[in-house]
Amino acid sequence: MTAAALAALPLMTRVRLSRLVACGEPHHTFRAVVSGERPLAGVDEHVWEAWESCAGLDELIEERCADAAVWVTWRGAHDYPSQLLGDPDAPAVLFGRGTTSALDARRVGIVGTRRCTAAGAHLARRLGADLALNGVAVVSGLARGIDVNAHRGALSVDGAAPVGVVASGPDVVYPSEHSREWSDVARRGLLLSEWPPGTEPDRHRFPLRNRILAALSEVLVVVESRARGGSMITVTEAARRGATVMAVPGAPTLAVAEGTNNLLKDGCAPVTDVDDVLVALGLDNSRTARQVDTRPVPTHEEETVLAVLHGVPRTVEEVVVACGVDAFGAGRLLGSLEAKGRARHTNGWWEALR
Amino acid sequence: MYAAISSATLRGAFGSPVTVEVHIGNGLPGFTVVGQPDEACRESRDRVRAALLSSGHEWPNRRITVNLAGEGDKKGGAALDLAVAVGVLVAGGAVPKEAVENISFVGELGLDGALRPVAGAAPLAHAAEGTRVVVPVGSFAEADVAGRGRASAVADLASLVSVLRGDEPWPGNPTVPEPVVRAVPDLADVAGHPVARLALEVAAAGGHHLLMVGPPGSGKSMLAARLPGLLPPLGQKEALECALIRGAAGLAAEVPPSPVPPFRAPHHSSSLAAVVGGGSPHVRPGEISLAHNGVLFLDEMSEFAPSVLDGLRQPLEDKVVRIGRARSAVELPAGFLLVAATNPCPCGDERPSGCGCTPQNRHRWLRRISGPLLDRFDIRVWITRPTSVSMLDGQRGEPTVAVARRVAAARALAVSRQGTVNAGISVEHLDVHAPMTPAAMEVFARALDSGTLTARGYHRCRRLARTVADLRDGDVTVDGDHARVALQLRREPGTPRG
Repeated sequence: MTAAALAALPLMTRVRLSRLVACGEPHHTFRAVVSGERPLAGVDEHVWEAWESCAGLDELIEERCADAAVWVTWRGAHDYPSQLLGDPDAPAVLFGRGTTSALDARRVGIVGTRRCTAAGAHLARRLGADLALNGVAVVSGLARGIDVNAHRGALSVDGAAPVGVVASGPDVVYPSEHSREWSDVARRGLLLSEWPPGTEPDRHRFPLRNRILAALSEVLVVVESRARGGSMITVTEAARRGATVMAVPGAPTLAVAEGTNNLLKDGCAPVTDVDDVLVALGLDNSRTARQVDTRPVPTHEEETVLAVLHGVPRTVEEVVVACGVDAFGAGRLLGSLEAKGRARHTNGWWEALR
Repeated sequence: MYAAISSATLRGAFGSPVTVEVHIGNGLPGFTVVGQPDEACRESRDRVRAALLSSGHEWPNRRITVNLAGEGDKKGGAALDLAVAVGVLVAGGAVPKEAVENISFVGELGLDGALRPVAGAAPLAHAAEGTRVVVPVGSFAEADVAGRGRASAVADLASLVSVLRGDEPWPGNPTVPEPVVRAVPDLADVAGHPVARLALEVAAAGGHHLLMVGPPGSGKSMLAARLPGLLPPLGQKEALECALIRGAAGLAAEVPPSPVPPFRAPHHSSSLAAVVGGGSPHVRPGEISLAHNGVLFLDEMSEFAPSVLDGLRQPLEDKVVRIGRARSAVELPAGFLLVAATNPCPCGDERPSGCGCTPQNRHRWLRRISGPLLDRFDIRVWITRPTSVSMLDGQRGEPTVAVARRVAAARALAVSRQGTVNAGISVEHLDVHAPMTPAAMEVFARALDSGTLTARGYHRCRRLARTVADLRDGDVTVDGDHARVALQLRREPGTPRG
């Protein structure tokens, strides 16, 4: 538990924490630090002074961890996840909720933009569910958009144990509307963070979170991403670790497909179905389980509308022009498709949910 | 020694009759106005005196008391000048008392005795009780609109006195200009926009308030401006009401009253008093009363002050606005069709994955429009920019006349069925006037179950479905397709993404 106190010291940096944890048993190191022993070289005087004034921090942080049901482990501890041991940039101290046994399954990261399309969100959810059905642990960041939808998909499968890697303290739910998904992931799978409880989700923590996400993913699937963004950082980190990066192709006119299409051009394998990912994992894809599509079947007339919506968001006007119906007919067909869960309306635009 | 002269003063939308009593008696020479006159009326003493002297009459150097008898506080306005002058002449014996019986006098006096046009001549003439209403020449056209043929134009005080003495006949009235039909932009100019066109048609046919959410440049204002053309033309009574309200607000009344429903589009910086009505000392009709029998269009609705938007709620419900004062209250008509437009978020880019606003910012933006007001919009549609195909193929849309014909038929159907447009069907009468097939019930049940439709929205959707059915298939039971289209016409203004 005292590893948590080391991580929570003021003016702590990742390098300092790494060096402190490397000194040995964190309990002794912490005692040494607060009693003025200064076990490291090259640390500024004012930092030592700040640390020496933190004598009671270990008990305080221990209490906070206990309150939030957060456990702590450090590099060198017997319960440190073995999957991270070989990582060049593994976090020195890890905070978590849930069980590390979730990491024993095959692990696939699903990442993407927070500002995704409805179709992208739907695909992430379906992929998450289908992977979970095949016993694969979904690793993602619990962020808005693609991330949380991948988790929702996985959580919809009985017995699935997804892994969430977050950029705030494990008890600081961000964004707040995902509190349900946070607690579900923590309860059924594993929620990981390298930051002590109470840490706010500052901007600079997200790229660092992405590196842990990449380190835990055997295969990384990018569902939707702009040319630049957090998902691309995760991709770089995954590539550095030799993980397989795959991308979902999208229409070239869509900004959210630019990043994924670039990945495909760079030689990443495309993903359109859970089979593609299972093959990349080297799993048997001859008996792939898939979530049963319980949605009502669209009529012939509705199929023509779905064909227009396929792949690209369309306005009602485009549907009217392409299908040769009037506004009343378009409203009737789109409304019916929406009720059947086959199309989704967002701010005047319609997308097909495959 | 005493005279009672009929006149009128501006109060609310339609003016209010006033009797100007003048008494000339013994005592210190002086001139007092009692009966809660306003500032302009107190100043009238000097104008009346000068006008009388200029017209060759003597000013009685005795004690003159003027009383304004009528409803309301702070009566007056310069339009009472003429009545005061005539009252002084009658009380002084210069004009026989019998000559002014059943005649109302409305007009402002110049120092030379000329009659000056007054603001709001239409409501003043409307309120005046005499069988003949004497008005300045410049105000004749407006006064004639409301005066039901009673208005008589007179150029100055001297000629009025000679007419009243019987020396001359009443002068002929000036000719009223030819009616000018206000041009309403045509729907045919609008390319594409199938959803918006349907929404306008349904709004006009059912009297449903309409909210358009869409990016800048998608044509929301252009579409809204075409709505008055879809509404049935005003009858004589409604047109007169509109003319009177315009006059009371100090705008030139349209002569003769235009049958085109008014279209008012106040700027979003407008104050509460400007929009709802108010002001001091006279309560003037605001934009919502000016839009009576027509369309009130609020562009950039989320930019309006919250107090202004909240001020709309009571008039929307009651179709009148009551403006209370410490000592009196005025009721102004405000039966308007509300059409509002707003951007979906601060950046205005509604394309999927196009908007860069954070969810919090989007949420905050739409929260500026209060929930209860948002709820009063039966129709809430998203407007997207027209596609290049619609813009470039040069085809004109369906013209206003064709749509207006369907609207008129649907309105006639609704009125013959339940005596009001569909937006006015009460909840308890929905099952009588808007029965549903099992398919329609299932559509609504599913929407209610999935949470896309709220309980309040349900009733509004049923009225909408009634209008859709009326327009499409006539007086039939509302079926599943009508219900589906109604649901599409009432979308949540802010759908969360992802």
